[in-house]
Amino acid sequence: MSNMNDFALVCENIGMQFGGLAAVSNFALSISERALYGLIGPNGAGKTTVFNVISGVLSPTAGSVKLFGKDITGLNPDEIARRGIARTFQNIRLFRNLTVLENVLVGHHLRREATFGEALLAFPRYRKEESDMLRTSEELLEDVGLGDVAHYRASALPYGQQRRLEIARALATRPRVLLLDEPAAGMNPAETEQLMQLILDVRDRFNLTILLIEHEMKVVMNICERMTVLDHGQIIAEGTPSAIQSNERVIKAYLGGGVIARH
Amino acid sequence: MTGNRSNDLMRKGGIAVALLLVFYLCLFWVETGWDAYKVRILNLSAIYIGITLGLNLCNGFAGQFSLGIAGFMAVGAYTTALLTMAPQTKSAVFFIDPLIWPLNSIQWGFLPALLMAGLVSGLVGFAVGAPAIRFRDDYLGITTLGFAEIIRVVFTNTRSITNGALGLKGIPPQTNLYWSWTFALICILVMVRLTNSSYGRALKAVRDDEVAAEAMGVNLFYHKCLAFVVSAMMAGVGGGLLGNLITTIDPNMFRFPLTFTVLMMAVLGGLGSITGSVIAATLVTVAMEVLRALEEPRVILGMFLPGIPGMRMVVFSIALMAVILFYPKGFMGDRELSLDSFRNLAARFRRRFLYKQV
Ligand SMILES: Nc1ncnc2c1ncn2[C@@H]1O[C@H](COP(=O)(O)OP(=O)(O)O)[C@@H](O)[C@H]1O
Ligand SMILES: [Mg+2]
Repeated sequence: MSNMNDFALVCENIGMQFGGLAAVSNFALSISERALYGLIGPNGAGKTTVFNVISGVLSPTAGSVKLFGKDITGLNPDEIARRGIARTFQNIRLFRNLTVLENVLVGHHLRREATFGEALLAFPRYRKEESDMLRTSEELLEDVGLGDVAHYRASALPYGQQRRLEIARALATRPRVLLLDEPAAGMNPAETEQLMQLILDVRDRFNLTILLIEHEMKVVMNICERMTVLDHGQIIAEGTPSAIQSNERVIKAYLGGGVIARH
Repeated sequence: MTGNRSNDLMRKGGIAVALLLVFYLCLFWVETGWDAYKVRILNLSAIYIGITLGLNLCNGFAGQFSLGIAGFMAVGAYTTALLTMAPQTKSAVFFIDPLIWPLNSIQWGFLPALLMAGLVSGLVGFAVGAPAIRFRDDYLGITTLGFAEIIRVVFTNTRSITNGALGLKGIPPQTNLYWSWTFALICILVMVRLTNSSYGRALKAVRDDEVAAEAMGVNLFYHKCLAFVVSAMMAGVGGGLLGNLITTIDPNMFRFPLTFTVLMMAVLGGLGSITGSVIAATLVTVAMEVLRALEEPRVILGMFLPGIPGMRMVVFSIALMAVILFYPKGFMGDRELSLDSFRNLAARFRRRFLYKQV
């Protein structure tokens, strides 16, 4: 492997302790630029906790996170978003009372240059920024197939579309790394298929590095280039999908009380 | 294309100027022709419109449950009063503890005094808003309520600045309809611009989901403070106008019931609705005055009814409960009344009643 700075995202020995519970320990991860990387594991394995650490919702009790070689450990979530990491949430967290379009517009807010005063007095710079925002947001919604419902309240969308909207909103922040937390949860196989296609599309169009959480292994087998398997907060395997599929420990984790047994 | 747009803008601008002209002519007519009692109610309506909008910005649009509005009003009222009172009046009013220098010797114009009131209450708003990053919901409510109480207690005890519990008398009655309604119009304009801007959307995002807003890059500290400061400035200038309308103020005016009254106006109109606040603030102010009659002794159908003090508030509380029962989100919810909504209503009306018979 070459220099550490060549990676888009690096986690070094991350530990996250909740009181006596070690939700994640010794977690390490290196994702190269423009990769589509999978993070899988049974429920409660600590996958979302890893996302919360990377996105700044939690400060890890050990270890560090680097984005393109720069340490971002423990920064505020909004600062991390500004540096180029965007995320979606496992339990959808849209701005319920805003319209679909407004949700995406909020995603643009962090790239604003016009100050509050300029916005209030409708200065030309603000007006231009606002119309640019509006145009790109509408394009983004067309891209993810939500153009028709742009003026609906977000809470009025069906489940599958809410998940798509979360992705569109995250893309509006113009991220370099996108974290997707179980984006296919609750979708039927056809919807899941469409969603995976969308994920591949946005990766190529926006030059993104994507880290994708999934607890059902087969969903991500086809699209991830590499993956890490987490169980009880520990990494039990790392490698290409085919290597993972035949890994003894992974099979045991999944058969012995893992996803398959629980569903 | 562009020509059309700028023509359209010119037309809209022209209409706006014409409407403003008519509006101020009406104010002139009322100010010079109507009796003082009605003028006073209209002044109060305008002042409460602005203050209610300020509260709505913080509590409704940004979702920060604050109960400190009376404190901000007190700061604004005292600042304006102390800056506009004549030095002779001040030395007469402060007969126990003399007013400190330089307040005892200055007298500012009304406009700079009001601006200063906005500035000072904005600073106080920042001091109250900054902790809001730590507290949420009920805790924030209690913290801000405590802050308003602290302001009142401080004002009661700093006698050489505020004259303590005796309050200030002989404040110049400078508030008239032009001042109060200009204030209301500016507040409406600020709210419309702010809530439709990128910053306003960020505030609503914080209201709907703080975690998601922060993950999308919305700086919680900046935006919460923004809501608090703008809200406090509106309340402060409103308080200043109020003080110079009624010409006497004392710390007890700014107790919790005042916050409650403004909160009631915002809730009745709908948290998150500008037009709702405007309508509700006007209705409640007028109703407060009209219902005053309930508290006066009178003879109805030959029967003598003694006045019951506090009856107004009983009626108000019942009305509030009734409204909340039927409109849990206030009259307007978070929607707005606009020309478009009238057009829609008219269109629906036509479809319903005109085309049916065909
Ligand atoms: N904020 C928290 N406080 C306490 N425990 C938590 C917190 N977040 C997660 N956990 C615990 O950490 C473990 C891992 O959870 P999580 O990361 O959500 O798993 P996954 O996303 O893989 O299903 C679980 O036992 C969970 O209860
Ligand atoms: Mg999870």
